[in-house]
Amino acid sequence: MSMSAISSFDDVELGDELPTETPDVSMEQVTRFCHSAKHLFERFTDHDAARKEGFPGAIVPGIMSQGLLAAMIHKWAPGCNIMSIDTVFRGSLLVDSNITMTGAVTDTDDDEMTAELDLSIIAEDGRTGVIGTAKVQFLS
Amino acid sequence: MSQASSQPDLASIRQDWVGVEFDWATFEMKPDEMIAWAEACGEKDPRFIDQEHSDFQAHPGFTTHCMSGRVFPENFPQIGGGFGIDGGKRVEVHAPIRAGDTLTATTTIADIFDKTGRSGTMIFIVQRMEFRNDDSELVSTVDWKMIKRAE
Repeated sequence: MSMSAISSFDDVELGDELPTETPDVSMEQVTRFCHSAKHLFERFTDHDAARKEGFPGAIVPGIMSQGLLAAMIHKWAPGCNIMSIDTVFRGSLLVDSNITMTGAVTDTDDDEMTAELDLSIIAEDGRTGVIGTAKVQFLS
Repeated sequence: MSQASSQPDLASIRQDWVGVEFDWATFEMKPDEMIAWAEACGEKDPRFIDQEHSDFQAHPGFTTHCMSGRVFPENFPQIGGGFGIDGGKRVEVHAPIRAGDTLTATTTIADIFDKTGRSGTMIFIVQRMEFRNDDSELVSTVDWKMIKRAE
C-alpha cells in the first residue's frame, strides 16, 4: 500500500491502494457545493425537505461525490491528469454523515504512463453509495 | 440481458434515436465558480483552486453541472415508468477548461439499452453532452445514465 503521495509514474504499482479519505460532507460544505454548481435543490440542503421527499435526510449530490473522488486522486498523485472518471450512484450518501472513500490501482500502461483506478464511497452505515473507475495520466 | 415482451422495441428505438442531436447551449467558465466547485470538493491542487497558477483549469467534473435545456429530444417515445433516476456520470477530459472560455455544448442520445436483474428489467438511456471551447476544441464529454424501470 502506498501511503505517501505519488510523484511519478514509477511510484505506481498495480494493486496500490489510495489512502482512505473521509471527506467533509457537512451541510455547510454541501451547500457551498450546491451554490457553486447552481444545484440548489432542497433534497441536498435541507434535511426536513429531503425527508418529505422520502429520503432519510439531505443527500450528497452525485456530481459532488464524483468531485470528492477526483480530489482524492489529486491528493494521492499531485500533478496527475484525470483523463476520465466514471461513477455509478448506487445509494444515497447522507449530508452530515461520515463517509469513506477508497481507491486502488487496477491496471497500468507503461507506454502511456497511465493508471486505471477502482473507486468507491462507503456510507456511514456500511452501504456502498458510489462505485467508479478513473484513468489517470502522469507526465513523468 | 433480456427484454420484457411488454416493452417497446428498444432495438427500433435505438436505431431511430441514438446519435440524434437535440440540444445546444453555451456556458461561461467563470474562475470564481471553478474555484468554489473545487474547494467544495476538498481539492488542494493549486491547478484547480489558484487562479494565478500557470495551469489554472476547471476541476475534471466541472461540466457535469452544465445542464442541457432538454432531457429528451422532441417526440422521443415514452420508455419505462416514471421520470427515471440518475444512474451516474462518466466524464472524459480531453483538454483543460480555462477560465474565460465559453463552452458550446451539444447534446445527443448516446445509447439506449436494458438490463435485467433481481429487481426486474431496467432501461438505461444515456445522454451525452460534448463541450467545445472558443477554438472549437473538444474539451469534455459527459455521459449521463438515466435509469427507468421497465413497465
